[in-house]
Amino acid sequence: MSESVTSCRTILTDISAYLDGELEAAACQAIEWHCQTCASCAALVSGLRETVGLCRKAGSTPLPEEVRQRARDSVRELLDRESKKTS
Amino acid sequence: MQDAGVKAEYAALVRDAAVGNRAAMERLLVRAQETAYRFSLLVCGHPEDAEDVMQESLLKTYQHVKRISDPESFRTWLYTTVKNACLMKRRRHAGEPAAFVSLEDGDGLGGGALAGLADKSLRPDEQVISNWMEERLRNALKTLPPSYRMIVVMREMEGLSTKEVAEVAGCSEANVKTRLHRARLMLRRRLAAA
Repeated sequence: MSESVTSCRTILTDISAYLDGELEAAACQAIEWHCQTCASCAALVSGLRETVGLCRKAGSTPLPEEVRQRARDSVRELLDRESKKTS
Repeated sequence: MQDAGVKAEYAALVRDAAVGNRAAMERLLVRAQETAYRFSLLVCGHPEDAEDVMQESLLKTYQHVKRISDPESFRTWLYTTVKNACLMKRRRHAGEPAAFVSLEDGDGLGGGALAGLADKSLRPDEQVISNWMEERLRNALKTLPPSYRMIVVMREMEGLSTKEVAEVAGCSEANVKTRLHRARLMLRRRLAAA
């Protein structure tokens, strides 16, 4: 029982490094083996992987066109103004 | 956004823009504007402030690029500038929630300004944002302590490295990893409960 708890704690400590690919192969394998026999850790790993994926998907979604257009307009206005100053 | 080459892309644009390439300057500034808007909105939660922060960052970015000595450092400079603009903006508001002012330090469960966003009826700008980001993620994100939210936005959504996030946040890389780990666990719980 205590060995199992210790393993679960190790998973909890290392899981972010695991998801970020910062763990050595042996440590990754230990997590994967543990998850094959521990449903709660397997669910945790899966849930965190989904969470990270959701965040990354949101980060790669372009901003609404209204916002992007305002950004483009502001930039062109600034560059035109600065260009007139130097000409 | 997650591409490790984003930093190099920025650096290339900065180099071209610095020598007078208008197209490169335009692309760089538009990207910087979008970054300023996203960061300000996601971390601080006020669409109207995000617009202001975007404007304030524009001239600063233009001036900085023209005299930059290290193009590789542009990205962290940009996030630091935007973070500081957000802080200044919010400090000017009367009745600013303490949680925001302590953006860099403390892990207090302030919930921050985003918490209030969902409680109000949506204005047009907020509706645009509501349509942009998946609602359950937006709701989960707003429950994070502000200092955790900033780390999640920079690391997961903006794709900065741990080292870059540490530089912008003004803390150690170990601290970034700890906050990110805790934030992920919190987000997962909120998403599971949604």
